[in-house]
Amino acid sequence: MLNIDGFAYTNRLRQVHPLEKAAFAFITMFLCIGFSLPVFSCIIILLMAYAIIGLARIPMKVYLKLMSLPLSFLSIGVLTIAVSISTHGFGAAQLAGITISGINIGITHSGLHSAAGLFFKSLGAVSCLYFLSLTTPAVEIVDVMRKLKIPALFIELTDLIYRFIFVMLATAEDIYTSQSSRWGYASLKNSMKSLGQLTAALFIKAYHRSQTLFTALSSRGYNGRLNVLAPEYTVSVINIVIIAIVESTLAITAILLEMGKIG
Amino acid sequence: MADYILEAENLSYIYPDGTQALKGLYLRIPRSQKTAVLGSNGAGKSTLFLHFNGILKPKSGTVKFNGNNVSYDRRSLLELRKNVGIVFQDPDSQLFSASVYQEISFGPLNLGLTEKTVRDRVERAMTATGINELKDKPTHMLSYGQKKRVTIADILAMEPQVLICDEPTAWLDPKHAKQTLQLFDKIIQNGTTVVLSTHDVDLAYSWADYVFIMSDGRVIGEGVPDKVFSDDALLRNADLDRPWLVDVHDLLIKKGCIPPKATLPRNKEELFEKILYHGICTGEQ
Ligand SMILES: Nc1ncnc2c1ncn2[C@@H]1O[C@H](COP(=O)(O)OP(=O)(O)O)[C@@H](O)[C@H]1O
Ligand SMILES: [Mg+2]
Repeated sequence: MLNIDGFAYTNRLRQVHPLEKAAFAFITMFLCIGFSLPVFSCIIILLMAYAIIGLARIPMKVYLKLMSLPLSFLSIGVLTIAVSISTHGFGAAQLAGITISGINIGITHSGLHSAAGLFFKSLGAVSCLYFLSLTTPAVEIVDVMRKLKIPALFIELTDLIYRFIFVMLATAEDIYTSQSSRWGYASLKNSMKSLGQLTAALFIKAYHRSQTLFTALSSRGYNGRLNVLAPEYTVSVINIVIIAIVESTLAITAILLEMGKIG
Repeated sequence: MADYILEAENLSYIYPDGTQALKGLYLRIPRSQKTAVLGSNGAGKSTLFLHFNGILKPKSGTVKFNGNNVSYDRRSLLELRKNVGIVFQDPDSQLFSASVYQEISFGPLNLGLTEKTVRDRVERAMTATGINELKDKPTHMLSYGQKKRVTIADILAMEPQVLICDEPTAWLDPKHAKQTLQLFDKIIQNGTTVVLSTHDVDLAYSWADYVFIMSDGRVIGEGVPDKVFSDDALLRNADLDRPWLVDVHDLLIKKGCIPPKATLPRNKEELFEKILYHGICTGEQ
């Protein structure tokens, strides 16, 4: 998570307008979800891989590691879809399977097809989100939310949560260091006890933080709304044109593929 | 008749847990000057500051801004907070946004200024504090000193009449502490009153025009630095040391190296000058 945050501030697409990056990520993601075509999903995975590694210059190793994260739970989920259970057999549709006391456990063609579809579709959607989070700092995603007139409560919460993840993380690190320098994690028993105390301390500190933050905000005229101004970004016409071309090409490809499948 | 911007009269405050932090304190802060409130930990400095922009309401006594009693309705409080800005000691409890730019825009936006004015003020505050290059950095990737400067820019952008800083140099290295004090010298040039709290006698001695000494919820002494820091009994009562400059100066007089009754040197350079040009030392040149 922290690594992603670091890349968001240092990647090659940092200066691109956040709204452009968000549009690219989300339109592609909706296309990916909208069309159930494994080939199309693969195209999107490749496109995003190029955008992440080739354009944003995120190291290949980081990209692969991030993509492997959802693999384990995806595999389990997909397995349950690929395998069908029936009491009266699948007939010709069955590709492989066993029968245990009258219950058929097997893999059918359609089961396999929808499993593969879901697998690639999920990876495609995930890579769209990775693109956005690796190239756009959370602060700027919040700016986009503000531009899209998402209710202020969500925006303020997102902003505060993001900020305080780091404040609390630093606090937790300090407590952890101070505990371990006093043998707090030297044995399993010590570790359990220390971890419990750390958690309790964090809650108390979080409460205390919220109090002092409220005081500091009040002294700057806080009136229940966290009004802020985002820096001004410059819109790039070229980028918008490129995004439009890529997205419409994607859409046309998907439609052609879809028609090919039907025909 | 001197001109006071902030005044506290017979101010008392008791925290909900029963700690009496202020015990009938009197203090008047001169306008457009550099004032230091000096006191050891727990003397009540932070508590006093929170009274100056109406965050805390006194149990008894009054706070005055520009000669008028502070009232505690919403409108008056907003007006007070527009004019009296506090930079808190711990930057992490003041910074609420992950974006430096957004963080600084918060205060001036609350004043109901137009977007253009706010952007101008944010730029100016960033330039004054020298943090222009941090604009695109998230606050959690800043060093302690950088965070401190952002919190000062936070308040500068509101253009208050009084800038109050709670322990601005605590935890700063000497270089950044010096930079911060130079920043205050710059701020004061346009008539802003700067008040800071500290337990660092050397800092208060060299920097301030006027000093208050606090101990146990009261002001037990005040005056220009020369006078305050020559009063040994006062410093002892407040659990403070003498500034090293005063110590060395005394020693040099006692040893006959510089003429007695010389004015106290305010910084290292002044002391060296005294020794070099007015000294009657008999050592080698
Ligand atoms: N929130 C609080 N609740 C209870 N007591 C407090 C609180 N804040 C400060 N105090 C107490 O009030 C006294 C003055 O504290 P403070 O104003 O923070 O002193 P200083 O800033 O000079 O170190 C201390 O005894 C301190 O323990
Ligand atoms: Mg304090």
